[in-house]
Amino acid sequence: MRKLHQIGLLIAFISLATGVARAQSFRVQCPTSTITHPATIHDNNSEPAYTGPTVLAPDTKGFLAPSANVNGAIKCQQISGGDGYATMGDGTQTYMFSFGPLSGLAKIANGQPGTDSPSEFNTLNPTSNVLQPGDPATTAGAGGLFTFNGAVGQVPDLDNGGAVNGHVDPRQMLDIGVMNGNIPAPLMAIDEDDEFFLTLSNVGMIMRPDLFEQHTVHFHGYPNASAFYDGVPDASVAINIGGSFTYYYLAPDAGTYFWHCHITPPEHLQMGMVGQLYVRPRQDRVTTDLYTSLQAQQGDLRTACNSATDILCSNPLPAVNTSATGAATVLLGGTSGYAYNDGDGTTYYDVEYPIQIHGFDPNFHFVGMTFNPEGFTDMKDKYFLLNGRSYPDTVTTGPMQTQSSDGVNHFSQPLPAIINIPVGKKALLRISDLDVSEYQTLASLGIPMQVIAINAKLLRDQAGNNMYYNTNSITLGGGESLDVILDASDTTKYPSGSVFYLYTPNLDHLSNDAENFGGLMTEVHVN
Amino acid sequence: MRATKMTKAISVSKLLPVVMMALASLFTATAQASTPGITGPAFNLSAAPAYLTQPDGAAVYSWGYGCNGAPSGFAPAAIPSASTFCNVMQVPGPTLIVTENTQFTVVLTNQLPSSAGNTSILFPGLTLVSTSGGVPGLLTQEATSTSPVTYTLIATSPGTRAYYSGTQGDLQVEMGLYGAIVVLPASVPTNCSANATTPPGGLPFSGANGVAETNWGEKDFRLASAAYNNAHACYDREYLFQFSEMDERIHSQALAQVNATAGCAPGVAGCSLNVSTEPYHPSYFMINGRSMPDDMDPNYAFQYPHQPYNGNPHMHPGEQVLLRVIGQGRWQHPFHEHGNHVRILARDGNLILSQTAGTTPDQTGLAGPLLFTTTTTPGLAFDGIFYWTGKGLNWDPYGHNPKSSDPSATLACTPDANGYNTGAPTAINYYEWCQDHNKPVQVNPFGDVAAGGPVTLPDPNIFANGAWYGGSPYLGPNATLRATGCSSNSYINANQTSCGQTGSTPPSGTIANSPSGEAGFAFMWHSHNEREITTNNVFPGGMLMMMLVDSREFVIDESM
Repeated sequence: MRKLHQIGLLIAFISLATGVARAQSFRVQCPTSTITHPATIHDNNSEPAYTGPTVLAPDTKGFLAPSANVNGAIKCQQISGGDGYATMGDGTQTYMFSFGPLSGLAKIANGQPGTDSPSEFNTLNPTSNVLQPGDPATTAGAGGLFTFNGAVGQVPDLDNGGAVNGHVDPRQMLDIGVMNGNIPAPLMAIDEDDEFFLTLSNVGMIMRPDLFEQHTVHFHGYPNASAFYDGVPDASVAINIGGSFTYYYLAPDAGTYFWHCHITPPEHLQMGMVGQLYVRPRQDRVTTDLYTSLQAQQGDLRTACNSATDILCSNPLPAVNTSATGAATVLLGGTSGYAYNDGDGTTYYDVEYPIQIHGFDPNFHFVGMTFNPEGFTDMKDKYFLLNGRSYPDTVTTGPMQTQSSDGVNHFSQPLPAIINIPVGKKALLRISDLDVSEYQTLASLGIPMQVIAINAKLLRDQAGNNMYYNTNSITLGGGESLDVILDASDTTKYPSGSVFYLYTPNLDHLSNDAENFGGLMTEVHVN
Repeated sequence: MRATKMTKAISVSKLLPVVMMALASLFTATAQASTPGITGPAFNLSAAPAYLTQPDGAAVYSWGYGCNGAPSGFAPAAIPSASTFCNVMQVPGPTLIVTENTQFTVVLTNQLPSSAGNTSILFPGLTLVSTSGGVPGLLTQEATSTSPVTYTLIATSPGTRAYYSGTQGDLQVEMGLYGAIVVLPASVPTNCSANATTPPGGLPFSGANGVAETNWGEKDFRLASAAYNNAHACYDREYLFQFSEMDERIHSQALAQVNATAGCAPGVAGCSLNVSTEPYHPSYFMINGRSMPDDMDPNYAFQYPHQPYNGNPHMHPGEQVLLRVIGQGRWQHPFHEHGNHVRILARDGNLILSQTAGTTPDQTGLAGPLLFTTTTTPGLAFDGIFYWTGKGLNWDPYGHNPKSSDPSATLACTPDANGYNTGAPTAINYYEWCQDHNKPVQVNPFGDVAAGGPVTLPDPNIFANGAWYGGSPYLGPNATLRATGCSSNSYINANQTSCGQTGSTPPSGTIANSPSGEAGFAFMWHSHNEREITTNNVFPGGMLMMMLVDSREFVIDESM
């Protein structure tokens, strides 16, 4: 379907053609110091321990700025908006509108969040290491080791004394970004109190040059969002091909959110512009008593939750003080943590897995690739995806690659959906659904699912009672998320070597188009 | 009379410019919503046929409940009575506004075509005291074409509920026989009516919102001060949204059979319909009986004589907004509220309370979830509370600038115990989140907004503007004009540049939220089964509406 936006864009082009151009079109942003995170107090390249609320004092410029106890740090990420190809469970190559990584490339290829600290993001690619189209797949295919995690394209700004200030060489961005779409879109993870600078660079959709399409990022579930950074093109601005837009967020309350493009949602979401995003809690940075720490968070009105006066108070103190002590493994670089600021340790996990449910309608994707208007009411998914893959690809380790129409292999499906739980441990599943046409159910054969949160909010009533519940299936519509803990601590029931299945009881979704076995299913391995 | 009906995707693309012109012409009107309905205690309803209009030009044959004669009253009173109407058929049916524990009657007269047979109303969650007239049916007493049925009812708890046909529901509900009942609490908790200052004809508020409304000349469009007799059910504004979908084939088939049996005698062999309601393939997805953008036209807009209710929520920062949401039709829809979470208060009029509510320390007692996507389920109603304050943005959305010569740019922000500027209800920045007061977002100065923030905004030459883009990142016409209009000469001279560097809305005709008039923050509220935000294959359409957070300078008039 042709859309309103494009007419608007034409008008915008005409009316703005005489405007004053004063900035580079592609650019990245990742400051090392801000009002909220002054580098003079903490260098922002790591997360400081949480010891109490941030101390704010009036700045000479008329606003409050931290004077001590700065919490959180700065995080940055760059993504491309464009197109690409993925391989479905039956081997079919499918065209997508999609986002790809333009920073944290090595991490994304390794199934990790591509989010960088400023020192990582602002690391320049050595001139000796020329980025190849398709990288990291190209380097890996040649037997090389790809380790670069910085912002693709960032080079010294020779007009400003060689400063690293976000100036880019667009050739590198296009070499990497074009035809490099991923499903799911690059994984993002930030910590509460962080400032997050997310740069979207629109590299164009090579297979659909007729569309000259904008893309946006909608941070789905961001509380008290501004319209400007909400990513709805109708209510804000959208970046044209050849330009970059940096979205700015102060990390909201901890939880499992997700993100997607908001241009013509029925089209761009179906075509694959969906990704995962979660916010780790302050409690991950606590080494002392969790209850006391949650009480301390009441000392900053931004992080406080007063259920007596705030109907949207998301995280009251627990009714029972369990005297649990923080594991603070985030500070130590471990895999474990807490899903929420529970104050009682009940959302502890040893390993976490983001799982995104999605569906592809092959007919819609084919029509979308071949310059035809797609119908919406006939949309019918035939591929049912967990992290962009159908069974048995869901349990394939490492990134999956697909050769795009540029003749080069790309890591278009970087994220496996296999769940490995160390024996006797707990796994957190951060499940989100961005299917655009139907509700999906995911069932656990074996380990029960303990639902601890829905829509990025801890399941706790306003009097502090936990309302977690056990179930063997969860149902989500597009635009919903929830958190589930798979507790394998009973080693009699769940001994090492056991394999369980997560699958959909929507039995027609256990298929890959014409193949009647596959679809929305993955495996849980107790190791 | 049927307008041109588009059934193929190919034809849609040809007709799209027409559709877009229609859309564009509607963008200029600023309409707002509320929870309009009719009052009792005696409701005289009809069930009758008429055509519903859709934004693609289709007129779809439907059945709906309506008023059999003038209703005893309309509410809220803030909607001028001259603009209200209740036709013999409307979709959704008239919203019945009643009070908890007060008996009321609904008389249903069957004016459907004789071949449609009997009809009825189910009132799930209400106590059916007695019925009279009509004939017994499978689920309830039914009205025949000659014998109306009278339902005598009482609601024993407040809240929002659905009503719908209890006769051949697969066809009659699909055809449009559904509506809403709003039950007001018999008593309102004292804290919800603590502040008696209110615009003329208004109700008491829990806080100073009535002072603000009075100051700006706004009316109070609420039906009550609280949704429930619970200290946390106070609200400042309310909206009702009913979600439903239509399969046009069912409607055309019904029409063809009705025409073929016109004038037949009820009960005679052959005087009946045999419409296939499966397979189900809807192409119209509606909020309050209208598809986007029609849903954002005013309540009681003359062009929709059978679809009087709109979906066009507006609110000011800090206002507690009661959402009354009902799933009608037969599908579930994941209704996504951009901008913030919703606290679910109740389901089908049942407050969701903590197992320890009422014990010490009883903090609030509420136990409903916080959701950013609220699934609507057929036959299910829920009440929830939403608000928007900008808390946590880490920049000042009002673009305050202590160095400005504009008094509105140098307003004070004095935090209350929760951090909001609630001590100044008549100020533009009433309910501003004070921790971010004066904090800039942009690295470089733009117009009369301070520099020194974290991000550089893109060059306006390389982005496209949306119809609801207010023209700047800032909230309200004052802040937007200062950001884009270069009210600071020193800035213009120092930078040797033109103004409007943060961009402006597109040329006239597509401005729905003008920089100088409204400049609100627009948020899309829509079904996240994204294919349902289309109208018969055309995007945008369907279950989509824009919610606007408006600065206090902008007067929200829900009667429009």
